[in-house]
Amino acid sequence: MPEGLANRLREHRAGRELTQAALAEMVGVSRKTINTVENGVFVPSTTLALKLARALGCSVEALFSLEQD
Amino acid sequence: MTTTDYEKAERLGRKRAQMLPLFAILFLTQQASYFSGPNVDSGRPVDHIRIAAWLAMSIVLLLVLATGGGWFRSREVRALMNDEATQAHRNDAFRFAFFAAMIACVGLYVLGLFEPVGGRDVIHVVMSCGIGAALVRFGMLERRAYRDA
Repeated sequence: MPEGLANRLREHRAGRELTQAALAEMVGVSRKTINTVENGVFVPSTTLALKLARALGCSVEALFSLEQD
Repeated sequence: MTTTDYEKAERLGRKRAQMLPLFAILFLTQQASYFSGPNVDSGRPVDHIRIAAWLAMSIVLLLVLATGGGWFRSREVRALMNDEATQAHRNDAFRFAFFAAMIACVGLYVLGLFEPVGGRDVIHVVMSCGIGAALVRFGMLERRAYRDA
């Protein structure tokens, strides 16, 4: 996980009973990308973060936050 | 994009991740045979073919690294195979390859202080180190990304 960045993508996705593949289709990326974002290996671009937030019906801040917040 | 596109991209992406380290091994093995055998100056046709094969393979692998491959697939499948996580992995692989090539240059420079090193040999080593390092790094990052996916 990049230093200082927390993400709650997995919780939000699971809360909407979506698989990684389903969420990937909704935002137009591969399942691998969703997996790497959830595992904190990859920090998505602003565009993808906005698409993820829109697909999950929440704000970007609900998905990603700075750890000291 | 259809579900089939996503499935295809997933399958091809996994296959690519598995194949990259194998390509690296094959490529570097070919490199070893270049230095262990007689060089192109020997004039034997077989050596010219060997060098040409290495050059052709280098160019193909460079193009795979630069584009992400999947050349004969639809635009949608290619886009999924080369989405932003993959592009980040490729960028990281290129950065890694640059350092590997520079380290090879430093090594060859030092070697050149003690014995003459031919220009063709230098190109061979630098290209092989760069391409080999990029293949290994890209493959490693892709395999890690697919783990648990």
